[in-house]
Amino acid sequence: MMKRLFRFIKIPLILGFSMLLCLNWISAQNPSNEYNRYHTPDEINSLLGKLNKDFPGRTSLTQLAVTPAGNKVMMLEIGPDAGKSARTVPAILVVGNPEGDVPISGEATLFLADLILNGADVRTDMTWYIVPMLNPDAVLHYFNKPLQRDTRNARPHNDDMDDRVDEDGFNDLDGNGIITQMRVVDPLGEWIPIPGEPRLMKRADGNKGERGIYKLYTEGVDDDGDGKYNEDGPGGVNIGITFPHLYKPNTPDGGAWPGSEKETFEMMKFVYEHPEIAMTFAFGSTNFCMVAPRGGRKGTADMDNIKIPERYATMFNADPDKSYSMGEIMEMVKPMMPAGMEVSESMIASFLGLGAVVNPLREDLAFYNELTEKYKEFLKEKDAEPKRLASQSAKDGSFELWSYYNLGVPTFSMDLWTLPEVKKEKTDDSELTIEKLESMSNDEFVALGEEKITAFLKESGAPPQYNGAMVINMVKSGQLSTKQMAGMMKQMGGGAAEKDTEGADPKEKALLAFSDESLNGKGFVDWKEFDHPTLGKVEIGGAVPYVDNTPPESMIDSLLTLQVPWVFNLVKKLPELKFVKTETKSAGSGIHELTAWIQNSSYLPFPTAMGGRNQQPAPAILVVKGDVTFLSGKPRTTIGNLEGNKSIKLSWIIKAERPEDIILTIESKNVWGDQKQINIGGVK
Amino acid sequence: MKKLTIIFAVSLFLLLSAINSYGQSKKITVPLRFDFYYSYEQVVEALKALNKAYPELTTLDLVGKSEENREIYALTVNNPKTGDHLSKPGVYVDGNIHGNEIQASEVCLYFLNQLLTKYSENERITRMVDKNAYYVLPTVNVDGRYHFFTDPNTSSSNRGLRRPKDDDRDGLFDEDFMDDLDGDGNITQMRKKDPYGRLKTDPEDPRLMVPVEPGEKGEWTMLGQEGIDNDGDGRVNEDSEGYVDGNRNWGYNWAPPYVQSGAGDYPFSGIGIKAIANYLYQRPNIIMVYAFHNSGGMYLRGPSTKDQGELLSNDIEVYDYLGKNNEMIVPGYRYLISWKDLYATYGDFTDFTDNIIGSYSFVGELYQSSTETYSPPGKTEAAEEEDFFRENRARSRERLKFNDHVAQGELYVDWKPYKHPTYGDIEIGGWVKMSSRLPHPFMLQDLVHRNAAAVMFSAEQTPEITMEIFEKTKVGKDLYRVRVRMANSKAIPSMTYSAVRKKLYPQDMLKVSGNGVKVVSGGRLTDVYSDRVTYKEHKPEIQFCQVPGFGKIEYQFLISGKGKVQFDFTSRKAKDVSKTIDL
Repeated sequence: MMKRLFRFIKIPLILGFSMLLCLNWISAQNPSNEYNRYHTPDEINSLLGKLNKDFPGRTSLTQLAVTPAGNKVMMLEIGPDAGKSARTVPAILVVGNPEGDVPISGEATLFLADLILNGADVRTDMTWYIVPMLNPDAVLHYFNKPLQRDTRNARPHNDDMDDRVDEDGFNDLDGNGIITQMRVVDPLGEWIPIPGEPRLMKRADGNKGERGIYKLYTEGVDDDGDGKYNEDGPGGVNIGITFPHLYKPNTPDGGAWPGSEKETFEMMKFVYEHPEIAMTFAFGSTNFCMVAPRGGRKGTADMDNIKIPERYATMFNADPDKSYSMGEIMEMVKPMMPAGMEVSESMIASFLGLGAVVNPLREDLAFYNELTEKYKEFLKEKDAEPKRLASQSAKDGSFELWSYYNLGVPTFSMDLWTLPEVKKEKTDDSELTIEKLESMSNDEFVALGEEKITAFLKESGAPPQYNGAMVINMVKSGQLSTKQMAGMMKQMGGGAAEKDTEGADPKEKALLAFSDESLNGKGFVDWKEFDHPTLGKVEIGGAVPYVDNTPPESMIDSLLTLQVPWVFNLVKKLPELKFVKTETKSAGSGIHELTAWIQNSSYLPFPTAMGGRNQQPAPAILVVKGDVTFLSGKPRTTIGNLEGNKSIKLSWIIKAERPEDIILTIESKNVWGDQKQINIGGVK
Repeated sequence: MKKLTIIFAVSLFLLLSAINSYGQSKKITVPLRFDFYYSYEQVVEALKALNKAYPELTTLDLVGKSEENREIYALTVNNPKTGDHLSKPGVYVDGNIHGNEIQASEVCLYFLNQLLTKYSENERITRMVDKNAYYVLPTVNVDGRYHFFTDPNTSSSNRGLRRPKDDDRDGLFDEDFMDDLDGDGNITQMRKKDPYGRLKTDPEDPRLMVPVEPGEKGEWTMLGQEGIDNDGDGRVNEDSEGYVDGNRNWGYNWAPPYVQSGAGDYPFSGIGIKAIANYLYQRPNIIMVYAFHNSGGMYLRGPSTKDQGELLSNDIEVYDYLGKNNEMIVPGYRYLISWKDLYATYGDFTDFTDNIIGSYSFVGELYQSSTETYSPPGKTEAAEEEDFFRENRARSRERLKFNDHVAQGELYVDWKPYKHPTYGDIEIGGWVKMSSRLPHPFMLQDLVHRNAAAVMFSAEQTPEITMEIFEKTKVGKDLYRVRVRMANSKAIPSMTYSAVRKKLYPQDMLKVSGNGVKVVSGGRLTDVYSDRVTYKEHKPEIQFCQVPGFGKIEYQFLISGKGKVQFDFTSRKAKDVSKTIDL
């Protein structure tokens, strides 16, 4: 009986079992959470907490800071050291949404953590420090009504420096839950609607005979009666511009000093307490994966061409008109120092007031550019040709710039989505336009062919019953001439290809196009009249906040799945130091020459050129341990800079009384090292 | 034998007393004494003693703690009968941000001592105390001061904060401090007899060495600071405490360590420094700041780096007035510009106080070793070119004679042989830590008094605003033209011009109010004689202003209505003043 039953259920059992296996394999590749909507700060923190709960051995959760509004900046650590005090492996810091106004970046950070924990193909001998929201107060703005784009935390700040604090913010006058703009007819108005797209406006150009009509305001009233509108709203500080590199003091939203806000200070404190951080990655509005950090700023100190100020020049016996390299200057200064006093590049640089580096170093741009090419290939392979608007450049005081220039580690970022580029208007000579139609002969027109004519009619917005074949017949039969046709089309209003949108901001055009095509027009509020208490008759309308950087929720998952895994490719590029070869040569009497070749077996340099310049990343030390005397060389040797795929050679002359086991270790906090054991013979 | 033992014991006792001669065992009493240097604990004791002796006039503030958990104290001096401390101009004085620059704390203590012990006895000091709020923080770098006194040091060491840093990039932190090999409590110099050395004994003073002439046989090689290679890396004393310089760690114009040596990892990474920044930020009434250091004999104003551009000329006028008087109060000290006459510094304290607190700030570099003279009346030594790093030989010889005959040898230790583990037979000797950058205690009294007097001069010049309604004319039915003047009889304006220009904080305000009145229009009266007024378009009842030093501003209002009108001048720094009239 049992045997028969078994045979009965054998096949379903096997099938079921294999299915189970398959499902297990599939779910091992899939994230724990769902990414089909934007989560509030509380929800993000709760999802982070859930990951911590679901993977207790591999994760630990820390609260970095509490914001002025009481929101929490949380960090999830993933890795073998989680929950322990010792740090044994290199780490990557991932920060989400530093400015707080890019909702999809918080999702991306969570998604990354999710992937790592659910079996992504990435090495496990590393730590991830993941901070989904560096500016949670600002993240909350996306979820509040009325909707307004705001990067500021809840710190009260007197933006207009009058007698009151935070007394005049935006007001949702038309009650649609969105803060847009107001335009008012005003003799001093500078703005006129764009003829081809009257929803948009441009500044009137007097040289072209244009006269301004409107003055523009953000939606609101002058709450404090000082003649200015919405100049001092609630808050606050934009955490995303409060980091020390190129920080701007005395701005309405930059805070009192770099790190005056806890969100920034605790992040910096954490980073410097964790020298194992070998790379940072920011999800926000910049994209160092797609385009290298920009240069072109004035004022970098060039270490090869330094001019010595006159009053020091005589002291150094130098020529104030000549340029010297740092090395040359150090040679000049050394003999003048009191005996035994160390002279470093940093000392000379600060003594001469040389200033900071403000443009990416050439050697670093080399790897950035190479990697952007690889990233574009990566996207191409997945059939994604993102013809979208360019990402933003990193702002002064941003986390990204601070990471590259002050930490000196490879710094990357990604902005997930921007508006699709507006399809280029056809300017090709062979293409048809109304003007060309007008000057064409009937025969030339017919010779274009049905396909081209149909396309032209469609683009021009001709009524649907006029297809190419019909029009060709009409022209051939003499019912319609090209000139008549052109006249009719002009009267109809020109059509899409003829729109004169000259002067329109390309970003605004892109927003409008996206709103019309993909959002059912919901991305832009049409101008509507409103009776304003002080300004009289105004029109309220304009772009809806966040439309330009926040895709519809249905797109989130695919965008994340496509782009976020690139981070794992970058991890593969992190430097690794290995012993390529070791050798001992005996010189007799227990004396040996020991040589080791160390290679950076990966792609990225150790450290970056900027890290070499600012001397910030922890060095790698080659430690030689054994009961030996060092005749040449030392037990601890600093391994200098090592570019990707390059090697160096280090050697020692040691004396061992007896046969010894020497252990060579490459010790470093922030790079994977190596260890080798060598046996030497001792006195013969 | 017994005699020898007694002699030995007595000498040992004398030696130990000599080491302790800078007062570790002195008792603190009020009025304070200024013939010794206060250790860290004694500074705290002194503040507590002053607070205890003058409870109505003082408050002891625990500002914060240091890296090694020592307490940082300030003493607030304020007469509550003349107002709450935040309602008055604030004068802030501190010192010793560099752990070795110790006499700065004595200047602060002396200043407090004067204000308190002479209150109600000395008319000027009484008025000074009643007028301002004083915040005096004698020791900023409490760990530095403690270690300077307790550990062997040179006169320049233990300057920084106790924040570990791998200075020599060998993966180890602070592993190679200096070593007091001869155990005399000082880190001096090591030299070795060397026929190939580039130095020879100075013919005039055998303690000094001079460079050999080309071709001449050498005698000595200077080895450097007293010490051994603790970490076996071939270098001596290359990784001592830090290096983080408390005076490069502030949040205005901060730059990372590769640009500004000693800057620390990020602004206010220093625990004590951050606490002091918060202490200042909570006292926005501070308009005058003095930070004391050593040495050189200077009063420095900002900016601290060239790239900030020169200060506004109106602010320079204020600095010039105060600075030039300081030069006369402390003869020999020069009033200079920080980046120009000294060197550029990023992230320093006075750039912070000027640009974030909105004050006028001086750095006082105390003491000139050039006062250690030994020359006949009227004769000046030939001025040999002095370079930035070393004093010239003539000066050294003179200072040594001063040491011998005026300080009884307490400033210098003669060369004595020593067997060094790596260098072999060497000699150790040099200037002791309590020398060179600070005065021998017998000169301390003069230094502290004069520099405290400089602070007092500035304290007397904090803004004093008076208000006068100098005209009230009826111009229509229930309509009046009223003219108000705010005058300042002192040199310091009610707001720095830089703070006005940068909109650092809301400007001083003149507010007009009254139950039965309405301000129809109002504005700055720029010319009384031709009735020229710059009208404010909106809310004329609130005017934003600034009262210049030694000057006045005038406003005109058109007010309609009946009854009492109140004019309130409010300022963050100057004391508020009000007047009421009847329409």
